[in-house]
Amino acid sequence: MKYLFVAILGLVLGAAAAGVVLYFNPLAAKSASMPHATDRVLTYSLPDQVLEFALGDDARLFGQDAGDDGLWEETIDRSAVLALVLNDASGQPAALASRLLSTSAETDLLLRGVLVSDVWLVTIPNEGTLFVHADSNAWPFLKETLLPVWYLDRPWNGPSEYWPTVGPGADDSADVVGIAGSFDGRAGTAVERYEITALDPARKLALATGELHLNLPGPQVAVQAQ
Amino acid sequence: MKIVFLLGLLVGFAGTLAGAHFAPLLAHTRLPSHTSVVANGGRAEHFVIRLPADRIAATDGEAGGLRSTSAGGAMLLPAQFIAEPLLVEHFKVRDDAGSVIGVAARHWSGTGASAATTWSVMIPSRGAFVLNGPGEARGALEAALRTAGYSAGKAWDGQVAVPMMREDEGLVAAGTGEFEGLAGTYTETWTIANVDEDGRVNGTIELGTVTSRPE
Repeated sequence: MKYLFVAILGLVLGAAAAGVVLYFNPLAAKSASMPHATDRVLTYSLPDQVLEFALGDDARLFGQDAGDDGLWEETIDRSAVLALVLNDASGQPAALASRLLSTSAETDLLLRGVLVSDVWLVTIPNEGTLFVHADSNAWPFLKETLLPVWYLDRPWNGPSEYWPTVGPGADDSADVVGIAGSFDGRAGTAVERYEITALDPARKLALATGELHLNLPGPQVAVQAQ
Repeated sequence: MKIVFLLGLLVGFAGTLAGAHFAPLLAHTRLPSHTSVVANGGRAEHFVIRLPADRIAATDGEAGGLRSTSAGGAMLLPAQFIAEPLLVEHFKVRDDAGSVIGVAARHWSGTGASAATTWSVMIPSRGAFVLNGPGEARGALEAALRTAGYSAGKAWDGQVAVPMMREDEGLVAAGTGEFEGLAGTYTETWTIANVDEDGRVNGTIELGTVTSRPE
């Protein structure tokens, strides 16, 4: 009995030590390399530019109500559908984006972090439509901001900046495929950046701004460069 | 005693790390795929959207017509986009057996011959794919319903199939996960069964895909 107790104690302490290693694991906090200076940048702010947000029952990070139109079916209950207005460099609405998100089976807490499959469909009126396929790592945000501030009531030392894109491109950037209009047949990369600008669990308030850096070789990109 | 403790410590440590690495922590529930092999090669699969139950939201621009007014949740466009030939709709997607398996976004934009429709369909357990085709004429749904006897503000019952593409087929344009690298075609058929006095459209959207992996 004594041996069993000691073995269990060892197991628990070993698991706790591994938990600490995982929590501070730098391998799970990588992100894509910085975007190019010539990238086209489309920006958004949350929640101001959210047109619609449907959330799976098991994807409610902030504990929000998924509502009657939530994604409750077991096949999509860890998914979300987000519609955004994207602004151009002058701050004017320039595009509509639909983001289909779901937790990724590629999630690997040891080597890659908590991955989210993030599929964007971006339509820029009078130009065309782009498809962006990104793997985004939510772990840095969960670890540094959401868990301590939202769930453990620690003070927030924001604003906090994140570069969540970690693939699936060779340089850890997202893949972009031009689908329609002037983008048809073109391909490139993208990187997302977002900044949490306010976070207050007491008032259930979370504000953020974000950027999608698009690198699509061709004249349209150069014209719109920052 | 010391050895037992150290052994426990080691197993707990290594086991937790191994679990973090190998355990399928966030795998999605997967239903059997309803695919069939087509005669000239490739794989056929149909996806169904039931209206209005599977409509998540649609933009409220002028291009939306009945599809905006009958949406469960309206996406309120900024003023700059209201008059644009642009319509964004979000849906849940079902398999042939009627089970919800994914979500989808449909973007329609452009005018005349440049109008294009793009679908992005995500099935969390399998991946995502993109369909692109020549878009329907603006107001195509309303025009087909009027031809079938529908009047705005009045309930209508019937059965009308609405062509929502200017050509017979569109293309499978991109894919991720198990759809990555697939090429193929798709058809899109809207079948409307009735419209109530509030403009709520009842019917189905069927997406039929035929895909294959290019050699």
